Amino acid sequence: MGKVNIVGTLSSGNWRRILSKQEFGVFLILLLLVGSLSLYTDTFLTPTNIFNVLRAFSWIAISAFGQCMVIITGGIDLSVGSVMGLSGLVTAMLLVQGVHIPVAVLAGLLVGLIIGFLNGLMITAGKLPPFIATLGSLLMARGLCYGLSGGWPVRDLPLAFRNLGQYDLPIGNVGVPLPLIFMIILALVTSAFLSRTVWGYRIYALGGNETATALSGINTNRVKRMVYSLCGLLAAVGGILMTARLGVAAPTAAQGYELDVIAAAVVGGTSLKGGEGTILGVLIGAAIMQVLRNGLVLIGVSAYWLQAVQGLVIVVAIMLDQVRKRRR
Amino acid sequence: MSKRWAITAGMAVLVLAALILGGCKPPATATPSVPEKLTIAWIPKALNNPVFEVGRDGAFKKAEELSAAGPVKVEVLYVGSVASDAAEQARVVEDAIARGVNGIGISCNDPTACVDPINKAVDAGIPVMTWDSDSPDSKRFTYLGVDNYQGGKAAAELLVRFMGEKGKVALLTGVPGAFNLEERMRGFKDGIAAYPGIEIVATVYCNDDINLGVQVVEETMQAHPDLNGWFFVGLWPLFAERGSMPLWEDAAKNKGLVTIAFDTLPVELEFLKDGYLHGLVGQKYWGWGYDTIQMIYDYIVHGKRFESWTDSGMDIVTKCNVDVMAEMWATGDFTKPLPDPYACLK
Repeated sequence: MGKVNIVGTLSSGNWRRILSKQEFGVFLILLLLVGSLSLYTDTFLTPTNIFNVLRAFSWIAISAFGQCMVIITGGIDLSVGSVMGLSGLVTAMLLVQGVHIPVAVLAGLLVGLIIGFLNGLMITAGKLPPFIATLGSLLMARGLCYGLSGGWPVRDLPLAFRNLGQYDLPIGNVGVPLPLIFMIILALVTSAFLSRTVWGYRIYALGGNETATALSGINTNRVKRMVYSLCGLLAAVGGILMTARLGVAAPTAAQGYELDVIAAAVVGGTSLKGGEGTILGVLIGAAIMQVLRNGLVLIGVSAYWLQAVQGLVIVVAIMLDQVRKRRR
Repeated sequence: MSKRWAITAGMAVLVLAALILGGCKPPATATPSVPEKLTIAWIPKALNNPVFEVGRDGAFKKAEELSAAGPVKVEVLYVGSVASDAAEQARVVEDAIARGVNGIGISCNDPTACVDPINKAVDAGIPVMTWDSDSPDSKRFTYLGVDNYQGGKAAAELLVRFMGEKGKVALLTGVPGAFNLEERMRGFKDGIAAYPGIEIVATVYCNDDINLGVQVVEETMQAHPDLNGWFFVGLWPLFAERGSMPLWEDAAKNKGLVTIAFDTLPVELEFLKDGYLHGLVGQKYWGWGYDTIQMIYDYIVHGKRFESWTDSGMDIVTKCNVDVMAEMWATGDFTKPLPDPYACLK
């Protein structure tokens, strides 16, 4: 069933068991990337750059936690990029109206939760394939962004809100970006939810074999609605953190990020067939994507070639991992 | 098999015939006498964009001036789709034709999608010109727009002014391959080619995305801490609030990093006033309306004819004239010419 939680993996002393974990291969790829970039450039392994990378991948990773759950059930959520944009925009527009920060943030989170729930409803009650249902909400949420904002970015957000994304929490003698701390907390919570609760068990069961799960008396529709709602909620968290970091909510914000989010989950070992995937894997997957892009810019790969190199490295890395898995 | 072929050929002939017949419609004869009142439709890419609002005010201002001067009264019809949408814009043009306007000035959302509605208007005897964004294959009588290549050259000149004749430079673009951005970069590269001491060490892109723009600027600062100059081919990362790009901000304030950017929007003017940016190259948003109305007026009333492309010129903003530009945005009055951007540097 591929259920692993972070604590379990890190504390496990059994070498053979660690080797067999599905995250191990992608973790090796990440190590290889980090190692070669540190050797090749003297700018990669600096605290400023590491925290830059960690901050930048935190909102992608947070959104990917939700995406991971959806994919485990055998579904897909294409609307996460639009939900990130819309929830950030709604929060920003309320803040500019003078609404208190906690209220505005809650409203933004609610937007994500509602869109996620509607996705679930379209898929269960409406019997739409997840791809179509969430493609529809991708367009609708993005359209709302344009409609609400009139096409223009919302700026001049209060400093206290921006601190959610910009503040560095002093731990020891380093400043740890606040979004990173949110990401770690959410990783622990979702990981525990997936591996330690009956709800998590049902999510894996549903993806493993939907018919058998339904026959065993589990309301699969309820599980799906919950999973899509959580996915929307987590995407909203990511979107609001990104908005706080930039201090601006553009109607085009996070456009196309659904692909980054889905890629983070899949590179991290979440199976598109369902039933398989872990939060730790998603974290590693998101880190690989971000480190790779960051590294290519640091090395100085030209804008015209960057995407081609990025695509090649990802495909080759995952293919090597597949070979390793088959050999086992 | 042969039967199917015959049907296909037959249909092709029919389609061709329809095309030829449709294309050979006799052109509507131009109105011999000038009406007492001219209604000119001024159509932006989208409504509710401050850039277009400046152009709209320019159009209204020109109409007011022309009406006051007489003898022909000029009225501007400001219509457009709410968001940038080619299909919706085509409908707006058709509405304008139906209303029987005397002339149309339009900024096309899509050069190809614009061809049909523009040609319909011209066939109905309504002269059309494009501004800001062209539709070269249509029957519009001219295009008023900025020469992006020259804009890039102007940016190079600004950079050399402030940075000197040698240094390491990085470029930030939006989507690789976007025609207007490529033209700006081509002009910029040709502009600095005269200075062998200037080296372009990085070209990064941000997919027109503010978040990615902030990230790649910081990463480039990380990779090249000794960078001397930046050319932002668009203003993407500048939409983000202060504190988003600590390395860039620090280098700009304390290490003499020179940044030149395209466009002259208020957010950029603030950065320039605070010393983060050194120079801006922008389109003449006001002229999009002000000059377009004049040109359509001249075309109809005086029978004046224009070249296929009319250079709208550009605004160069530095610390010398940033206050005047900011004042123009604050008051919405862009009628005064911008002072010499280099006056206070001599």
